[in-house]
Amino acid sequence: MLPGVPAIGAWSLVTGVAMAKSTLTFGQAVGMSLIAYAGAAQLAALPLLAAGAPMAVTILSALMVNLRFVIYSASLAPSLRHLPWRERLGLGYLVSDLGFVFYMRREPALRNDPMRKWYFAGLGLVVFIVWHSASLIGLYAASAIPEKWGLDFIGTLVLLVLLVPTLAARPTQVGAAVGGTLSLVLHGLPFKLGVVAAIIAGIAAAVAAEHRLGVRV
Amino acid sequence: MSAEVWLWITIVGIGITGVMTRCSFLLLGERLVLPASIERALRHAPAAVLAATVAPAILTTQSGLLGALENPRLAAALVAVAVMWASRSMLWAMAAGMAAYTVVRLLLAA
Repeated sequence: MLPGVPAIGAWSLVTGVAMAKSTLTFGQAVGMSLIAYAGAAQLAALPLLAAGAPMAVTILSALMVNLRFVIYSASLAPSLRHLPWRERLGLGYLVSDLGFVFYMRREPALRNDPMRKWYFAGLGLVVFIVWHSASLIGLYAASAIPEKWGLDFIGTLVLLVLLVPTLAARPTQVGAAVGGTLSLVLHGLPFKLGVVAAIIAGIAAAVAAEHRLGVRV
Repeated sequence: MSAEVWLWITIVGIGITGVMTRCSFLLLGERLVLPASIERALRHAPAAVLAATVAPAILTTQSGLLGALENPRLAAALVAVAVMWASRSMLWAMAAGMAAYTVVRLLLAA
């Protein structure tokens, strides 16, 4: 998890800077960060808010960008559905891209561990705290952070680095290749819908490859 | 109602989309259990999610796909993957990737 911290920080810092440069006041930006807690959705909403787009359009855009969380939620459910609903609600609020990937890496080993909810909560809280601290720094220090440093790219880089160890088995490699390629092809679709379509196609391709190759991952 | 109030309603609306999507299957828990085949298929979700998120972020620019060649992100990505493959250390891979990014950026600027 530790190497993920600078990446979340950088990604959040960039979101904070974007909010500071938008039409939001400081209080509104902090409120948005806490209530929405979704960097990609916040970045998608900012230009719409600035342009005075209808409320329904802005909320719908955020929903589309957040659709990938449904896939995370479905993937996490088998491991966490035994918990009382209050705990599932709390853990659900803490779902994040990095937290999801790190938890799923450990999930096979944690399958029968009664402490696994604490592992998930710990990951979620680290992401949560780093996210909001860096977001505040971004809001305060917006003018001191040049865009050309490529801080926003750190977020991409950590996801790429995390991808490498998930590619041990051939069917998963096929799924990642299909998902990545399709995401490029569908890049022009609005609301990041291309990413969601590419994820679903990638998972389907991996399953097809499992059947074809007779390998079960 | 004032614009300020509408803005807060919009922000809360965005927050609701986050909670709805994040908690969807977690909260429906035992009431909405996916078929075992789909739950198995979701083991491939992390790799598919990562690849689909990362590919356009590395290989596209405002000018389109080809711009990638003059883009420090591609060099950084290749270096980071190579270092990750060899060392299995996220920290080294990220450091090498960002170093490559900066070197290429400065070379392009020169």
